[in-house]
Amino acid sequence: MRYKILTVDDSKTVRIIVKKAFKTYDCEIIEASNGVEGLATAAKETPDVILLDVTMPVMDGVEMLTKLKSDPILKGIPVIMLTAEGGRDNVLKIAKIGVRDYMVKPFREEVLVEKVGRIIDLKPLSEGPMKAKSILDPASILVVEDKPAIVQQIQEGLKHTPWKITGVNTTGEAIDFCSRGQPDLVMISLSLSDEAAFTLFRLIRTNVKTKYTPIFGLVVKTDLQAQQQAQQVGFTSLVTKPIDIGELEAKISKAMNLDTSQRYFSLDKDIFLMRLPEVTNQMVVNEVLGYLKSKMSEAVDGGLSKAVIDLHEVKRLDMVVIKLLFQAMQNCRELALQFALVGNAQLVSECKGFEDTKGWNFFDSIEEAKSSLSKSSPVPAGV
Amino acid sequence: MPTIDRISEVVFRETITRAIQDVVKTMLNQDAVLHSETEASHKPGSAIKIEGQQVVGTVGFIGDINGLVYLYLGSEFAADSAGHLLGMTREELDEAGDEVVNDAIGELTNMTVGAFKNQLCDRGFLCKLTIPSILRGTNFSIEPISSAVRRVYRFDVGAHRVVADLLMKVEE
Repeated sequence: MRYKILTVDDSKTVRIIVKKAFKTYDCEIIEASNGVEGLATAAKETPDVILLDVTMPVMDGVEMLTKLKSDPILKGIPVIMLTAEGGRDNVLKIAKIGVRDYMVKPFREEVLVEKVGRIIDLKPLSEGPMKAKSILDPASILVVEDKPAIVQQIQEGLKHTPWKITGVNTTGEAIDFCSRGQPDLVMISLSLSDEAAFTLFRLIRTNVKTKYTPIFGLVVKTDLQAQQQAQQVGFTSLVTKPIDIGELEAKISKAMNLDTSQRYFSLDKDIFLMRLPEVTNQMVVNEVLGYLKSKMSEAVDGGLSKAVIDLHEVKRLDMVVIKLLFQAMQNCRELALQFALVGNAQLVSECKGFEDTKGWNFFDSIEEAKSSLSKSSPVPAGV
Repeated sequence: MPTIDRISEVVFRETITRAIQDVVKTMLNQDAVLHSETEASHKPGSAIKIEGQQVVGTVGFIGDINGLVYLYLGSEFAADSAGHLLGMTREELDEAGDEVVNDAIGELTNMTVGAFKNQLCDRGFLCKLTIPSILRGTNFSIEPISSAVRRVYRFDVGAHRVVADLLMKVEE
């Protein structure tokens, strides 16, 4: 359900500022320019929150609030006063009628979002049905760790990615970083003193801007108590030290819901290319299988009729990889995609050892495979 | 009932300065500095010397004390401020027309006078705001009736000048 926020203000400027403040959140802003319009809109739309000015023509905010609170259907809608009318007596008088919060103009947009976020579960738009970010997109990752060697290891290990890794020593610096910008992911060392990791976790989760940001706990493998505590409070994932960078990268991609298909699939002019990495383990195979059918269909839909399955980097052929390759070839046949395999000497030799794979033909390079496809008739090649 | 003569010029100056600095910092992310040319009292009949196209926002306050504040902004600064407030480019503002800039300056004036009068309310001078209005033009002067107390405060905001013209009715 999409939350509705009703802004009642005679100033179009304020209504635009309110819209601007919430534009990155999954909510709908409805407008009214005076109390009469505000009441009518509230009755029609039943908003989840009302932001209400005081000084307005036709019907002012105090009168609208009084009428709203005497309406059995509307009286439960939380109201935040957003007005230039401050002063202790004014605020007390209005508060007595029943408001959830009171903001005196001038106001900061982030404070308004924060206050509304305490009433409704505001979700950033990126949580909604937007196009997924890819592994080729930049991202900001904050590492809160008092041991510089760990930060350095993560920075070094992930330097081939477009991600910016920022290391800070203390929770204070982390809060400061989060207030200046919104990290895409936070890693916190669970060994920070005085349970600081858990305090920081709660602070990040209570901030409307970061409450859905994935948070990883960095922990020593043997510290089971800290791991259990982190799982109980809701850390997104745990990364054990010593850190396996490959595993960390995969966990980050998954937590940030990144589209990793570019690692395995690409287009080379009129050829669809599927590429498997040197270490093609179960995790990689699962990832590839998740994209396989849709990527091949997209290619055919886009007018392609030829595919190259590039295995020249693969070091070992096991049943997991063989099953994946059978699946890929089957998909090619179903979609009438001509295909060719590219391999290496080790693979060719291993294929000879299996009954099902001994008939597979490999080319030495992508260029050779492409050239064979261009010569061949529209019958699946390579097998 | 408290009367206006109980409020010293220093209090007015500090109150309007705080109000303008708060609004300019919060809404425009800039600093406003009170200019030394500020006139503690303004001679009736003499015009405020401001050159060029002006956008002037006005908001009144009525209650235990009555008066109004004119906020003078050069048209360039008014457009820049509106653009910042609304997240609009200069081209978008030009396309939207003067009405958008007028509304934005009206709201800035409303916030400024609100912040000013809220401080007076807390000192026991209860009053309410009126709805803003806007005046645009060049070579004009606004003159109060002779019984009004007038105070003019000038502020520098970056390279721009903002003038707050405060008029208050003297209690009989």
